[in-house]
Amino acid sequence: MSDRPTALELLEAVEEFLSSEVLPALDDQRLKFRTLVAMNALGIARRELETDEPGLGEDEIRELARRIRAGDVPADAHAILKEHVAAKLRISNPQYLERYE
Amino acid sequence: MHLLAGGASKEAWAVDAEGSALLVRRASRGVIHAATLSLEDEFHVLEAAAEAGVKVPRPVAYLGELGGREAFAMERVEGETIGRRIARNPPPGLDVQLADELAKIHAIPPERLPFLGSGDILERFAGELDSVGDPHPAIEYGLWWLREHRPAPLPDVVTHGDFRIGNVVVSEGGLEYLLDWEFAHLSDPREDLAWPLVRAWRFGADDRRLGGVGEVAPYLARYAERTGRTVSEEELYWLEVLGNVKWATGCLTQCRRHLTGLDRSVEYAVLGRMAAEMEYELLYLIESR
Repeated sequence: MSDRPTALELLEAVEEFLSSEVLPALDDQRLKFRTLVAMNALGIARRELETDEPGLGEDEIRELARRIRAGDVPADAHAILKEHVAAKLRISNPQYLERYE
Repeated sequence: MHLLAGGASKEAWAVDAEGSALLVRRASRGVIHAATLSLEDEFHVLEAAAEAGVKVPRPVAYLGELGGREAFAMERVEGETIGRRIARNPPPGLDVQLADELAKIHAIPPERLPFLGSGDILERFAGELDSVGDPHPAIEYGLWWLREHRPAPLPDVVTHGDFRIGNVVVSEGGLEYLLDWEFAHLSDPREDLAWPLVRAWRFGADDRRLGGVGEVAPYLARYAERTGRTVSEEELYWLEVLGNVKWATGCLTQCRRHLTGLDRSVEYAVLGRMAAEMEYELLYLIESR
């Protein structure tokens, strides 16, 4: 095992550095925008490390995609997919789901 | 001369030459969709649009290759292009102004732009999805649903191909210019009509279904008045689902520019995770009927 900080704590450290030291020092709009994007990327990685949702396995996803492409759509496909995509969004952009409430 | 913020798929350079404020648009490495126009063809589309009276920055010259990549020069215009800001405070009349421009674009004679392609849109996106490599069952579901519910097509017209807030320049007086013609092609006119309705292009103002800036009914009414083509909101529903398939796939292919090493960028990288937003929306849209 590695010493602390953990992977999660390292991501948090970089996120904090970008928001409190780099961002306020930037004047260039393009760099500012890309720094915000980079912070967002770190947030996604952090939430992915934190999650304990099991979700669909790689093989299940591949099989489902193959069946749907072939026109052999399982009866519960829509419900399974909605949960699968919601789980992805809870990692990539949790606020997005609030737009559907 | 300096590089401007914005456009994820092309470079934009501010250049001042002989007293004119120019914008030099130059190719990046790689494209979002396989059918993207070359800069030379995009320049010809811009010229045709200008001739047709569409509000576009004045085309100046096609420059050939600059440092190994194609470029052209056009008038550098002032105004607001940031979708979030426009959706927060949309100028009155923008809804019908969008319809006015679309009517002019759709009236450009296709023979004026013989290089524009058409083709089966569902096959195109299935092909693009295959090029991504990783499986995306929600997008497959969208494509399946679209195949099952396909409406009879309208005859092809010249379409802008990326007609939405974010590609228009706006002032307090309303719409000033239409930008980003790289996806122009021949298609069902409803493809352009429905594209600004896609939730991703409402920039957070979800309740204003037309691009976060207005309602759909006055926009369609003006379009009908200008073109004689009566399109119902109901007809746009299928194309709205298609729009979400399109942009989900676009996010994934842009992300591959980063992953393959073609054009490394954190912006492209995160787009791979944004595709899930359009996947959720297309499932929601399909369920809502």
